[in-house]
Amino acid sequence: MSRLLARSGRRYLARHPWASGLAVLGVALGVAVYVAISLANGSARRAFDLSISAVTGRATHQLAAGSEGFPEGELVRLRRLFPSLPMAPLIEARVTSPTAPGRVLLLLGVDPLAEAPFRPFLAPGQASARDAGLDFAAFLTRPGAALLAADTAAELGLAAGEALPLGRDAGSAELTLVGTLAPTDAASRAALADLVVVDLATAQESLDRLGRLSRIDLLLPPGEAGAEAAARLAAALPPGLSLTPAAARAASLDEMTRAFRLNLTALSLLALLCGAFLIANTLLFTVVERREVFGALRALGVTRGELLRQVLAEAALIGGVGSLLGLLLGTAASRALVGLVARTVNDLYFALSVREVNLDPLVLTVGLALGLGTTLVAALPPALEATNTPPRAVMLRSLLEEKSRRAVAWAARLGAGGICLGAALFALPSKSLLLAFGAFFVLLLGCASLAPAATAAASRLLAAPAGRLFGVLGRIAVRGVETALSRTGAAIAALTMAVAMTVAVGIMIQSFRSTLIRWLEAVLVADLYVSSGQPGSADGGGRVTAATLGAVALLPGIDRVNTILVARTEVAGETAILHAVDLDRRGFRAFPFAAGDPSRIEADFQAGRAVLLSEPYAWRRGLGPGDELEIQSPTGLLRLPVAGVIYDYGSSQGAVILARPLFDRHWPTRGATALGLFLTPGADTDAVTRGVRAAAAGAGQALEVRPNRWIKESSLVIFDRTFRVTAVLRLLAGAVAFLGVLQALLALELERGREVAVLRAEGLTPKQVRWLVLGQTGFLGGVAGLLALPVGVLMAWIMVAVINRRSFGWTLALEVPPAALVQGVALALAAALAAGLYPAWRMARTRPAEALRGE
Amino acid sequence: MGETQRESFGVRRHVAAFQRCKAATCRRTPKPLTSWRSLLLFFLLPLLACQPQPPQVSARLSVAEALAGDAAGFERALAPRPFVFPPDHGAHPSFRNEWWYFTGNLEGQGQPFAGRRFGFQLTFFRTGLAPGDPARPSAWATHQLWMTHFALTDVENRRFWAFERFSRQALDLAGARAEPFRVHLLDWQATSEGGEIPPLRLEAAQDGVAIDFQLAPGKPIVLHGEGGLSRKSAEAGNASYYYSLPRLPARGTVTVAGRQVPVSGLAWLDREWSTSVLGAGQTGWDWLSLQLDDGTDLMFFELRSTEEAGRVRSGTLVRPDGTSRPLDLTQARWTTLDTWQSPKTGVTYPARIRLELPREGLDLTITPLLPDQELNLAFRYWEGAIEAEGTLASSAARGRGYLELTGY
Amino acid sequence: MLDEVSATVAAGELAVLVGRSGSGKSTLLHLAGGLDLPDAGSVVVAGQDLPRLDEEGRSLFRRRHVGFVFQFFNLIPTLTVEENLLLPLELAGRMSGGEIAAALDLLAEVGLADRRGSFPDRLSGGEQQRVAVARALAHDPLLVLADEPTGNLDLDTGLEVLELLDRLTRKAGKTLLMVTHSPEVVGLADRVFHLAEGRLVEETSPAP
Repeated sequence: MSRLLARSGRRYLARHPWASGLAVLGVALGVAVYVAISLANGSARRAFDLSISAVTGRATHQLAAGSEGFPEGELVRLRRLFPSLPMAPLIEARVTSPTAPGRVLLLLGVDPLAEAPFRPFLAPGQASARDAGLDFAAFLTRPGAALLAADTAAELGLAAGEALPLGRDAGSAELTLVGTLAPTDAASRAALADLVVVDLATAQESLDRLGRLSRIDLLLPPGEAGAEAAARLAAALPPGLSLTPAAARAASLDEMTRAFRLNLTALSLLALLCGAFLIANTLLFTVVERREVFGALRALGVTRGELLRQVLAEAALIGGVGSLLGLLLGTAASRALVGLVARTVNDLYFALSVREVNLDPLVLTVGLALGLGTTLVAALPPALEATNTPPRAVMLRSLLEEKSRRAVAWAARLGAGGICLGAALFALPSKSLLLAFGAFFVLLLGCASLAPAATAAASRLLAAPAGRLFGVLGRIAVRGVETALSRTGAAIAALTMAVAMTVAVGIMIQSFRSTLIRWLEAVLVADLYVSSGQPGSADGGGRVTAATLGAVALLPGIDRVNTILVARTEVAGETAILHAVDLDRRGFRAFPFAAGDPSRIEADFQAGRAVLLSEPYAWRRGLGPGDELEIQSPTGLLRLPVAGVIYDYGSSQGAVILARPLFDRHWPTRGATALGLFLTPGADTDAVTRGVRAAAAGAGQALEVRPNRWIKESSLVIFDRTFRVTAVLRLLAGAVAFLGVLQALLALELERGREVAVLRAEGLTPKQVRWLVLGQTGFLGGVAGLLALPVGVLMAWIMVAVINRRSFGWTLALEVPPAALVQGVALALAAALAAGLYPAWRMARTRPAEALRGE
Repeated sequence: MGETQRESFGVRRHVAAFQRCKAATCRRTPKPLTSWRSLLLFFLLPLLACQPQPPQVSARLSVAEALAGDAAGFERALAPRPFVFPPDHGAHPSFRNEWWYFTGNLEGQGQPFAGRRFGFQLTFFRTGLAPGDPARPSAWATHQLWMTHFALTDVENRRFWAFERFSRQALDLAGARAEPFRVHLLDWQATSEGGEIPPLRLEAAQDGVAIDFQLAPGKPIVLHGEGGLSRKSAEAGNASYYYSLPRLPARGTVTVAGRQVPVSGLAWLDREWSTSVLGAGQTGWDWLSLQLDDGTDLMFFELRSTEEAGRVRSGTLVRPDGTSRPLDLTQARWTTLDTWQSPKTGVTYPARIRLELPREGLDLTITPLLPDQELNLAFRYWEGAIEAEGTLASSAARGRGYLELTGY
Repeated sequence: MLDEVSATVAAGELAVLVGRSGSGKSTLLHLAGGLDLPDAGSVVVAGQDLPRLDEEGRSLFRRRHVGFVFQFFNLIPTLTVEENLLLPLELAGRMSGGEIAAALDLLAEVGLADRRGSFPDRLSGGEQQRVAVARALAHDPLLVLADEPTGNLDLDTGLEVLELLDRLTRKAGKTLLMVTHSPEVVGLADRVFHLAEGRLVEETSPAP
């Protein structure tokens, strides 16, 4: 490419800092949002992988049972059966400590002598055969001896020999720090950050799990030998104990958060899409403005290909600078965002601490590629437009608008096609979330492409009424929108899209929230709820003990106690959550049934002849009433029919619900995860609360007792926190759209200079010019806002009925709050008017003589 | 910590690769984007260079010094004691360290195995982390750790296998019992029907290599040193209680490469317990057991030291009738004639040794049946079958035995 | 717009095209420069039949053999005077020392050697058009096409530019085809064509 041509292009961009600045900013914002979300997601994922790898080590397989683990005798039996197979017994539990407020620590009970092949950093330093393990003497022999990562110990202000009390239950054992683990690299530091390593004996004693283990790690040889060993091992396993590849554990937890992460990524791509409109807008503007220059260049013998490359190179420059800026912005923003993401993962899925952003070069590269790629794709239409510049000195403006009108028609046709394609994709019988998002984007682009045509129609339709209302100025303003579609088309599309998204997300959140509130109202029927307030009930921790339960049931003022016990087991070959519930009629009838007739089901359920499923579980497995489930229990496989499906917005994992008597027949676990207390009429809530606390303390437990109002409120707090990320993204999409409008208007200003000058020459006051410009942008915003409403509602419906369902399996009732619609139009108007202020001021300030001379 | 070390190297390599690819990105950034090809490279290079790696965790562990176990509370071997059997065949948890050390030389029996020579070692080490028993509710709580080594030498095929196992003494995974006698770690074990040993049965197997022997009574128990008190350094208490069953006729099978070979030969059991052994400056020891063709058995050890004063030698001569006496070590010479360097660890060990005891009329040259009998395990040492040839009491003598070389 | 127009201009001649507004003068000029194509017929410049070349070929032909001077100057606003001058050379791939020196000599000849670093918007209309003249000749074309080069200039400046154009093209022996309204030019022309109602009529040439 010609050096001088390239230089002239660069100088052009430099001379239009507003236009190029906005385009760069558009790319930067889009890339930044994508990068920030991806880095935050990636960091959360990596923190998760690391915590898994610290716990999994190099194990290839694991033997595990449900919540309660399995008797330690199984390990002895298996070690005798397979004496040369490396096996490491483990006890795992999530714990909290008053010394580490706000942190969930993973207590890992290990046998150091078995650790060398798995987690070498936990094996004794074998300096001499005859005193192997001596350096571990304190760790093995001191009751409560614990190891922490050196950093963690420092953060908690713990020195060797100092106590680390466990806040599991009142009166439970205290740990003592006897040594530290010094990670040798950053990844290990992250992996070990929340690990408390203790000996198996200490783990059993301090967790009150004497005689039981959580897991056995195995190192099977690769290939056929490993498969054969796995088969022999599996054949020797008692019921309840199952062999799984170590990777499966990471994969299943990964799967759990996949929908959540995909949703975030899709939202971030939306921001990039808005950025792409901005780029197309900018480049179109620069091309249109330089028609004469391009014409002259063509006359000088510059070929079409050279012009095409020239415009694309300018786009690449904008895209490159914008993308790099976006990487910087995104990296900075990810530090804030990672907290939000981690918080959400914590609220919704599992305890995870993400302390640092992992600057994954892959994400940065993809961000850069997306930024540059999007820019180039967006630049292609303007670049082709430039190529088609006839080699003439002057191009008639009317001819240009004629072409742009044709383009609008084409866009409308494409848009209609996009909508059809999107609808067809949705109609496909599939549960694929990716497909849903693909269809969503196609549909959204389709709607956006229709926006310019719709605007033109509105402009033609409304010109006459506007003229009657506001006189000739009103007419000019409204007609002007249509005649300037080459400049405003992309801006209208971008604004429509952004506002539609805002409306849609607003409706979606509102629908979700109302559904949740209604569900909480229906489900939380007891007066008081009691739990240990500690994590990890499904893993055998954080329970109200049977002793406490017995004491509470006898308290005066309590009419009836309903209980739920959360446990983990294998259902149909996959780990699943069990809810064993002890409910009276009131409690059972409070279940919001999605399928099944409660009055017919109740007897079968309570007698343990059938189970219920929560909706996400039923959705994911494609199960419903009449299907049969295979549930692994310590006493063997249970085969039970599904009697009904209930709504459950408490988790997206889903659960199998069974009656407590049935559970008690097959599982050794006692106690409960939570209690629902129905008070006798007239009982004093405070007095009962105090009574429950006292009874628990008598049984050696500290419990949380909460009125049902508190549960509802804190659920909504978590809900709102979860959608905070979404709100941030929505804001960003709005900002990008605003920039688009601003930029389109600035382009118009340059273009309209002469027109305004003529009007000024004919006697329009600067004030009238300001009104003219603002009237026009107001019209633009209004049209975009109104167009956005049906599109937004459609998008909301898709998010609620398709994307949410495929992501989480929940049924949400679509609720269109009028406020969200009004807000949408208001937002569009406000964005357009705000964007119009500066151009209006500038246009009004133009001295007519100067502008007239310019041509 | 060898494993940990290797691990951290792996991670460092990964970090280095990452830095390299970051550098590549930096170099390319300032270039003007003039051609499509350079753009493509710009994106693809970092992608190609930075394949994501699975995270690996590595750390160095340190247990606070003041809290680490020491000898406090353990008994020490200060004076000769009466030995009582069978109880003394069992464990002595009031001492910190103890072992049951079986070695032996065997020959194949019957066609086509006749003349095939094997050596074996099966050792049970017990380490006490603290004296006494823990009074804790968990069955895993223990003060006793066990390490077991099993090695087999196949002379004809010039093969040597060594395996190790660890376990705590809990849930019957490992332990020692006097009556009926049993010392074991999982299925590696030495057992007897009653408290009297021998007879004994030795069993060990791993990865297609196995031994299964019956040990018959040979010579009676021999107490080393001063009636069983074996001094290891000048400092009082740096000593062990030490007895042997020096000549145990063995008969049974050796399995190599999935083939059972009937064998017979002679085994040797060393029993030793102590709390502290090595004094300052002592770096390792050489130990030798010999079963001579004329029925005489010999035990000799030397603790090497950086200082002449720290060097301790001791030996016992067991006559064919089973009576024994300490060897007269005046003017004794222990000379390395040849060395062998391990290709796996790079360590150089003595490979041929000449033992001269002028007062005993003894001059023997000791040659390993195989140079590579190095146990490259968590604790690395050389222990292997040997043969000896020379003179004893000024007449020609030859025999077989085991040699242990540590601290090299 | 043009109907059966036929004319031949020889090398080194100054031909002038006059006619009323909208008579097709510019179209004829564009045809000669390969910017437009006739519906039928041929446009032969330097032995090349332009309609038979494709778009790319015509672009390459222009950059080699044709120089343009427009009414509105049409300098590239983001290039300096010198860069504008050198652009045709660069496009033709003829950035040798000698060619650059020759082009800069042209700039001296139009009297703007001291403004070579300025951007076009710092120049007066006459100066811009002088740069445009120099640019049209910089790559040593066979044919110079001028579309009302004085149309946007005052009388004196226009004359100055015309004189320059005439002098430089003739000096270099190039063919100059000019569309104009100004009678002053007609006086200088070797041949004058009159375009009316789509037809071309050559006026009798005045005495040189």
